[in-house]
Amino acid sequence: MARQQRTDAARATFSRRRLLGAAGVIGAAGLTGGGFALGSAIATPQKETTAGDETPLYGEHQAGIATPTQDRMVFAAFDVTTGDVGAVKSMLAAWTVAAAAMCAGKQVGDNEKHPLSPPDDTGEAVGLPPSQLTITIGFGPSLFDERFGLAGRKPAKLVQLPHFAADQLDPRKSDGDICIQACANDPQVAFHAVRNLTRLGRGTLATRWMQLGFGKTSATSRAQATPRNLFGFKDGTNNIKGEDTAAMDQFVWVGDEADQAWMKGGSYLVTRRINMHIETWDRDSLKDQEAVFGRFKLSGAPLTGHEEFDAPDLAAKGDDGAEVIPTGAHIRLAAPSRHGGARILRRGYSFSDGADPTLGDFDAGLFFIAYQKDPASQFIAIQKDLAANDALNEYIIHTGSAIFACPGGLQQGETWADKLA
Amino acid sequence: MTNKRGVQIAVRGAAVLGALALSGTALAACGSNDKSGGDSTATGNTQVLNITLSNKGCAPPKSEIPAGPTKFQIKNSGGTKVTEVELMQGGRILAEKENLADSFSGSFTLNLKPGDYELYCPGAETERSPLKVTGEAASSSGSEAEQAALTKAISDYRAYVQDEVNQLVTNTTALQAAIDDGDVARAKKLYEPARLNYERIEPVAESFGDLDPRIDGRAEDFDSPEDFQGFHRIEMALWQDNTTDGMSPIAAKLVADTESLKKLVATLDIDAAQIANGATELMNEVANSKVSGEEERYSHLDILDMAGNIQGSEKAFTLLQPALEMTNKALATTVAQRFAEMNAAMEPYKAGDSYVLYNTLTADQVRELSRAVGALAEPLSEVAGAIVGKA
Repeated sequence: MARQQRTDAARATFSRRRLLGAAGVIGAAGLTGGGFALGSAIATPQKETTAGDETPLYGEHQAGIATPTQDRMVFAAFDVTTGDVGAVKSMLAAWTVAAAAMCAGKQVGDNEKHPLSPPDDTGEAVGLPPSQLTITIGFGPSLFDERFGLAGRKPAKLVQLPHFAADQLDPRKSDGDICIQACANDPQVAFHAVRNLTRLGRGTLATRWMQLGFGKTSATSRAQATPRNLFGFKDGTNNIKGEDTAAMDQFVWVGDEADQAWMKGGSYLVTRRINMHIETWDRDSLKDQEAVFGRFKLSGAPLTGHEEFDAPDLAAKGDDGAEVIPTGAHIRLAAPSRHGGARILRRGYSFSDGADPTLGDFDAGLFFIAYQKDPASQFIAIQKDLAANDALNEYIIHTGSAIFACPGGLQQGETWADKLA
Repeated sequence: MTNKRGVQIAVRGAAVLGALALSGTALAACGSNDKSGGDSTATGNTQVLNITLSNKGCAPPKSEIPAGPTKFQIKNSGGTKVTEVELMQGGRILAEKENLADSFSGSFTLNLKPGDYELYCPGAETERSPLKVTGEAASSSGSEAEQAALTKAISDYRAYVQDEVNQLVTNTTALQAAIDDGDVARAKKLYEPARLNYERIEPVAESFGDLDPRIDGRAEDFDSPEDFQGFHRIEMALWQDNTTDGMSPIAAKLVADTESLKKLVATLDIDAAQIANGATELMNEVANSKVSGEEERYSHLDILDMAGNIQGSEKAFTLLQPALEMTNKALATTVAQRFAEMNAAMEPYKAGDSYVLYNTLTADQVRELSRAVGALAEPLSEVAGAIVGKA
């Protein structure tokens, strides 16, 4: 082991990335200590890490929106439990400091303050690289109710989602005053982020619901292949890509028109917990599955094309005179042309919460996430149509729903509390 | 009753505090690996002991040091066969620093009480080096006023525990009489006050090894169903089977165990940090087994137990509060406010001199209580470190 490596590994405020990259497993195990040392040495993935493994917290926009979708997600929504808006702001400031540290692959806070005190950081990410961790926060409509005197800070576009046909929403899996979307290529890094922010907030807020996503279902970068959802289909082929700054400005980022200054550079986030009837879907014929989506299952090409990225011909008719892409096909209903050109940036994840305790069926599906600058003309308009007409509805139930206003990005020295100042 | 890890309070004469051993693990986990080392011998009131780890051994620079907060600053200098140093006493590891390869440094810190210790570095020519700690026990970095406040807190807490245990014996004896009379209704009524006494001081009882499992164990805690005894065996008979049949010997044993507890408590040796950790332990009890409805599964008196835990925790905190206000006023204010919120959250469930049954609460009400518990326990867990000062 070279001298320089040891010096790096031994920094007081060490970087997880630097530690693993330079000092390797011994250094990592040394920091975890105790009886877990051996297990940690074995379990620590020896990933090739580079400077690109870190996504900075600061910037014009919050990270985690245009950022290329990471593999895993932990999403949490919170109820504020205090009536003291000062406490909420203090917590948001503390969150910012902690989030910046975690995104840089560092531990939260002071972990040697006193042997009789619990360490500030919970520790499970020590030795793991930053893993492209992004922490994106948003404020729900309820944060601006009468409790905190923040009504004047509420953006007009932050509206409660309406009831959509066939919604079976569980209030304990819906809504929330504040949300955290933590995405990373390592699920433990994402979990660690939510866990530590939750802990910092205890007494100020409490978890309302939480969702783990084990696999990305959307590509938000041209460099990424289109992933598949649990129906086995490529999802989000025509998604907005982060590199397409014109589309980002047109559809995703709130611009100078923001009625609240803190929303400039921000975006509105809609989440939908969509349970899939996996068992019945799996018994559906290939032909019908493809008719439901309007795409070929393996290639992802529209039923009127040959390659995934071929433009669907919604007008094309077969020999029988019927539309090749059926009337109720998902891609027809979700097509921008049907909604005045409206597009959304999708960033959802497949989830499973185990087996349904009553039936033993999979409790699994898509945790749908969409970012946009105007929910009314984008998600809400599209979903009204889908809820009424989508052939996919036979196989899905919307069980959770929420909307949040994600403020613009933070400059160095600024905190999320400043957004509500 | 908690898991075995909850043991945090030692009896007079027992060699080392459970808490110390526990913090040793945490310590190793968060100890620093730094290169600074330095030759300073004290930072604040913490003495620094520079230990050089080599293939020869890990002898301290002096074999006798005064008691008090001590930082073991360890540096591996050319040691290729050794990678760790442990501080031991009587065969127990109090703290350790592992994975110190050649030229790595690391540290651990703890508050040393007088006694004979060993530094142990497996693999070295001399694996064990003695370290004698002399002088007065565990004087922290605090001012005289803080010390006086802590001393008063300790003596008041001892008195509180003794009072609760005295009442526990009295109330359990009354329960026994009702059982011997075959009076199910009276026994059910008398079960409640005895439970309250016990739940208020549970961490203390837990420190006495087998006593807590015998007094407060659940059915599944015993190897075989015939061994099931204590409060919850009686609870099962009274509520599930609606009888006192066969309970007289169980009640007699329970009374005897509470009397044993009373004798042990008279010799209780406890320090301020342990009182603080006991307060947190009580709230963790609430979080793990009361707010989930697990503890009083036949009688559903979990909310009553929960009140006992909260009262015991608040008593401990209140006694430490004057000292805490000198060292960390903000923390003292936060914890006091969270106790007020916790008590307010419990208020709706009071019913006469008792509490409503757990199974009458809605899921939302349980969650509400759980949130208050978390909000309180989190800052409460910082109190122990705050009152013994920066190590």
